[in-house]
Amino acid sequence: MRFIKTKEQELKENYLELHYDNIDSETRELISRLDTTLSNVEGSYEEKHVSVPVTEVLYFETVDRKTFAYTDKMCIEMRLTLNNVLEMYSGAGLIRISRSAVVNVYKIDHLQGDMNMRTVIFLKNGEKLIMNRGYKKEFLAELEKIKERNQK
Amino acid sequence: MKLINRKNFISIVCISFTLIVCGKLLLEKSMGFIDAHYTENIFACLFFSIIITAILALHFYLQRFPLIPVLIAQYLSVIGVTVGFVKIADMIEKTSTNGMWQMLLSVTIPFVVSAIVYYIAYFRQIKKANDIIAGLNQNQL
Repeated sequence: MRFIKTKEQELKENYLELHYDNIDSETRELISRLDTTLSNVEGSYEEKHVSVPVTEVLYFETVDRKTFAYTDKMCIEMRLTLNNVLEMYSGAGLIRISRSAVVNVYKIDHLQGDMNMRTVIFLKNGEKLIMNRGYKKEFLAELEKIKERNQK
Repeated sequence: MKLINRKNFISIVCISFTLIVCGKLLLEKSMGFIDAHYTENIFACLFFSIIITAILALHFYLQRFPLIPVLIAQYLSVIGVTVGFVKIADMIEKTSTNGMWQMLLSVTIPFVVSAIVYYIAYFRQIKKANDIIAGLNQNQL
């Protein structure tokens, strides 16, 4: 399978186009990964229905049994649980970091450990999240999986 | 993940006990030392295998608390049990004059070494995770 990138001046929105005769396993896997990556998160923000690409979400958090998706500009209230979020967008680089939060690994700038072994996650927008010791092993295993997937 | 649970508790105690006793016997053999309190010391090994496995099993339930207070509390619990054990043993049969000090050292040294290894492993994991994240961010550009 070939990947061709073409630069077009003044294009309003980037797009991907697939040319095929038969869809082989490699193409099928790529499509399934793109489906998750390009899927949208839906919910309400300031009493309006909004739909945002999952790739724009920094992290998901449950507060008082309500799940919120945080982007740079919005805090979207969703009708899903964190487990639903993890199932639906499993290929989008989401990893659980505590009982009430899931982070988008592509929005992490770096990690920092402290003496109490709580890992501080610095996001690209400057926000900080705390990962409990109990989720560290799962986080590292998922990170390895994402790395391997990206190397394919 | 819960590493020590009701199903594997006894197996872990048995494995730890066997390893400690084998270590003790090998050390004694290599040094030509004859243990005058063989039976008492074997039961002491079993007792400490049970206590330390029980304290380590609590670690899972304490994960939401900061590590340093957890480590201090665990260390103090082990020290408390050790002091109590030596006092009771001393009442039953006279222990050696520096028996208490030797027991405290026997508990403190493995505890400190384990804590250091734990910290080193943790900070290495953080460094590795940061390298992966840097790689992912590089690919995104």
